[in-house]
Amino acid sequence: MTRVLVVDDAATVRLYHTSLLQEAGFEVAEAANGLEAVEAAMTTPFDLFVVDVNMPKMNGYACVETLRSETVGTAAPVLMISTEDRPGDADRAYQAGANLYMVKPVDAERLVRVATMLTSGKGPAA
Amino acid sequence: MNPLLAQFLAEANDLLASVDDGLLQLERNPGDPELVNEVFRAAHTFKGSSGLFDFPELTRLTHAAEDLLDAVRGGRLALDSGMADDLLAAFDLIRGWLAHVTAHERLPATAGQDAAGLITKLRAPLGGETVATDQGQEPSAVRRIDPPPEWLAPLGTEWLIETAAWLSTTASTLRFVRYLPDQDCFFRAEDPLHLVRQVPGLDRMTVIRPEQWPPREEYDEYACLLSFVVATRASTGELEYLFRYVPDQISIVELDGAAINRHLEGEEAEDLETVPAAAPDALHVDARLAADARAVLTAAHRTLAVGEPTGTQLLALIGSVTSAALALGVPLDLTGADREAVNAAVEGVLGRAPIEPAATPPAVDHPVLAALAAPPAATPAGAPADLPAARADDPGGQVGTRVLKVDQEKVDRLMELVGELNVAKNGLTFLAAAAEEEFGSRALSRRIKDQYSGMHRIAEELQAAVMDVRMLPLSVAFGRFPRLVRDLSRRLGKTIELVTEGDDTMADKDVIEALGDPLVHLVRNSLDHGIETSDERIAAGKPGTARLTLAAVADGDAVLVEVSDDGRGVDPMRVKRKAYEKGLISEEELESLSDTEAVDLVFRAGFSTADQISDLSGRGVGMDAVRASVEKLGGTVTMRSELGSGTVTRLRLPLSMAVTQVMVVSVAGQRFGVPVDLVVETVRVPAAEMGRVLHQDVVVMRGEVVPVIDLARALQMPWAPDDSRDRAVLIVSVNGQRVGLLVEQFHREVDVILKPMEGLLAYADEFSGTALLGDGLVLLVLNLKEVLGLAARAA
Repeated sequence: MTRVLVVDDAATVRLYHTSLLQEAGFEVAEAANGLEAVEAAMTTPFDLFVVDVNMPKMNGYACVETLRSETVGTAAPVLMISTEDRPGDADRAYQAGANLYMVKPVDAERLVRVATMLTSGKGPAA
Repeated sequence: MNPLLAQFLAEANDLLASVDDGLLQLERNPGDPELVNEVFRAAHTFKGSSGLFDFPELTRLTHAAEDLLDAVRGGRLALDSGMADDLLAAFDLIRGWLAHVTAHERLPATAGQDAAGLITKLRAPLGGETVATDQGQEPSAVRRIDPPPEWLAPLGTEWLIETAAWLSTTASTLRFVRYLPDQDCFFRAEDPLHLVRQVPGLDRMTVIRPEQWPPREEYDEYACLLSFVVATRASTGELEYLFRYVPDQISIVELDGAAINRHLEGEEAEDLETVPAAAPDALHVDARLAADARAVLTAAHRTLAVGEPTGTQLLALIGSVTSAALALGVPLDLTGADREAVNAAVEGVLGRAPIEPAATPPAVDHPVLAALAAPPAATPAGAPADLPAARADDPGGQVGTRVLKVDQEKVDRLMELVGELNVAKNGLTFLAAAAEEEFGSRALSRRIKDQYSGMHRIAEELQAAVMDVRMLPLSVAFGRFPRLVRDLSRRLGKTIELVTEGDDTMADKDVIEALGDPLVHLVRNSLDHGIETSDERIAAGKPGTARLTLAAVADGDAVLVEVSDDGRGVDPMRVKRKAYEKGLISEEELESLSDTEAVDLVFRAGFSTADQISDLSGRGVGMDAVRASVEKLGGTVTMRSELGSGTVTRLRLPLSMAVTQVMVVSVAGQRFGVPVDLVVETVRVPAAEMGRVLHQDVVVMRGEVVPVIDLARALQMPWAPDDSRDRAVLIVSVNGQRVGLLVEQFHREVDVILKPMEGLLAYADEFSGTALLGDGLVLLVLNLKEVLGLAARAA
C-alpha cells in the first residue's frame, strides 16, 4: 500500500486531498502543520508528501527542507500545493526540495494522476 | 450535505471566531506581529478553502481581506480602527453568507452586490485594485491561475511569448476563452460571431477552422464548424455573463506569464495543422498524464537551475524525474547520477518525448464537488477502486487530528439514550419487587437486584462520561463580548476595557447556551447605565477607562459567573423611591428596606431605573427577565453594589442541567415532581396545628410563620385533606421565601432527565417539564413559581 502524508492546516483542504487520494486507493495520513509532518515522517515512512506552504508552527518550505535534511532524510517525492502564486514561490519550493509545485485548488483528477505517477512502481495498484 | 462542505462550514466557524477575537485584540495591541499573523492566517485559510467550492464572492472577499492583512503583516500599513471596522464587517457578511450556505448550500443571490462595496473599502488602503482592469468591474478579481489549456497554440507562439513576458513584468493576468459553438447553434438563435465581437477588452482573437472540411457533397452550410480562441482583459465574471446562454460551449481560463510559459515549454512544437482529430477517452487521459509528467520534468529542470540539490534532495529529484520519464515512455537509469547527468537526462526527455496529441476540451472548471460526489472516473494506472482506504491498525494514520468534532445533535441523542437507559434500568427494581411479591422468589429478586446494581454503576459512569463530553468552557459564552463591548462602547462614547477571567471553567453546553442572553443583558446594562463617560469618571477622580469584568469560577457542582464594573453603582435610595413610585413596595418598606434589599428591587418585574429608555438595554426587558431566565436554569442571581464604585452581579448556575433531582409528591392520586434544590424540608403537621392568618393557611415552624398553599387547589384538582391524619407539608424556598405545599403524600427522590413541555402543553407554565419514571409513568415536574402565582389567583 502506498502511504501519503497530507499536510495542511486547513481541515477542509486536508479533507479534500485526503478523500481524493483515499478514493484512488492510497493510504493517507494527515498532519496539520510542518512540525506534525516532520514528527510523523520520523516514525513512519511515507511514499509521498502533499504539503501546503502557509502553515503555523512550521511552514511548508521549512517542513520540506527538514524532510530532506539528515533529521528525516526521506527521498520520497513531495508535492507542494499552495494558494501562493507569486513569482518565486515555486522556486522556493524547488530549492527546499519539492518535486512539483501546484496552485490551489488543484484539479481532482490531476492530483491523483500526479500522485500515482510519482509513486509509480509502488503506486496504488502495486 | 456534502461532507467537504460540512467540514468547511465547521472550520469556517472556528476561523470566524479567531478572526473576530484577533482583530479586537489587535486594536488594543496594534503592533503585535503574532496577532496580525494569526488573523492573516485565518483569512488565508478561508480563502484557500473557499476555493474548493463554487463561492467566487467568498473567495474574492477573503482575498481582499487577506491582502490588507498581508500589508499590515509586512509593515506596509498600520491597522487603524477604520480598517478593523471594515474587516469585521467583511467577516460579519461572511458569517451571514455561511448561514445561508448552511441552509441552501449556496451563497445568497445578493452576495456579489453585498461584497462589492466592502471589497473596494478593503482595497482602498492598498491604493485600490491590485489587478488593473480597464472596465473597473470586479476590482478584486481573484487571480486563480489555471493550468494552461492545450488550445492556446492558435494564438501564435510569437504573440504568446511576448504576452507572457509582458504579463510577468506587470504581474497581471489575462483571460482566455475558447468558444466551441455547437454545430446546430444557428437553429437555436445563437450567433457566435456576434457574441465574440462583443467580448470587451479584446486583445487577440483567432478563428479556428475545422481540421478537415467535410467533402463538398456532405457540406452543410447551416452547421457551424468554426470555433474561436480569444484573449481578453475583461474579468471572468463579465465573460461568464456575456456567454451565459452558451456556458457548455465555453472554456475560460485565467493565465499569467508563468502559465503561458509553461504552455510554451510543454507544447512549443505543437502545430495546430498537424494535430490529429480529437482523441478518444483513453488517449485523453494519456495526454493529460503526459502533460503532468512534463510539468514534473520542467520542475526538475527549474530546480537544477535555481538550486544545487544534493543528498536526499538529489535522490528525490532523480526519483521524480525517473517516474515522470517513465510515464512518457522513456525508461531512465539515473542511479548515482550527478546534477549534470540528471539535467542532461531531463533536457533529453523534454526534447525528445513524443508530442502528446491534442486532447478533447478540458473538463469544465470546478470538477471538485462532482469528483467527490461521483465515484472516480477511470482511475489512472488501473488502480483497483475497491482497495481498503486505510487499515484500522494503521500506525501512520491520522497524525494531526486527535480531536473529534461531533455534531451537537449526536451528543444530545446520546444523552437522551442515557436517560432512557436509566429509565430501563430503574425498571429492574420494579421487576425485583414483582419477583418477590408475585412469584414468591426471593432468590430471583436478589439476583435481579445484583444485576441492577451492576447496571446502575455502568449507567452512572456512562452518564458521567456523556455529560463530560457536553462540557464546554465558559469562553464559548464569553466569546461574543469583546466585540459587543467594543461596538457598544463606541456608540456610547465610553472607553471600556473588558477583562475576562476563568474562561476555561467548564459547564454543560445547555447552561453555556442559556447563559448567553442573561449575560448580554447584564453587560448591556452595565455599559448603558453602570459605566459613566470618561469625562464623568475623571471628574469623579476615577481612571478614564472603565473596567468591565466577566469572571467565572467553579464552585462544587455549580458555576459562579460574575459581571462586575467600576461604574457609578446603584443608588439604593433612588431604587427605593422608584419602586415606591411604581407601586412595587409599600411606604413601610420604603423606610425599612436595607440597602442590599433595595438593590435587589431592580430584579422586580416592571422596574427600570433609567430615566429614559436607551436603545441599548431599554427594550422592554428588564433585570426581571434576567432573573427569570437564570432561575429557569435552576440558578440564582444576586447583585451587590456600592454607590460610586461599581456593581457586581453574580449568577450561580448548576454545572449541568442534564440530570435533575426531583422529589416526587402526590396529590389527588397524581404524582408530581419538585426540583430538590428548592426543597427545604418535609414536615407532617397535625391538622389541629395548622393556623390561618388573613385567609391564608399557615404553619408555624420554629417560631417562623410559613404560608401553606394547597397544591390540589392551585392545580384545580379535586382533593381534600383527611382531617384524621397529619398534614403532609413540603417546605420549599422560592425567590428566597419559604412556602409550604400541602400534598397528599411524599415519595422518594429520583434522578430524572427533564424534557421540556412540547406542543400545546408548552403553554402550561405551571410545569417546567416532564420526566419518564422507571415504571413507565410520566412525571410532571412543577414550576413552583408559577404554581404559587396560580395559588394566589385561586385564593
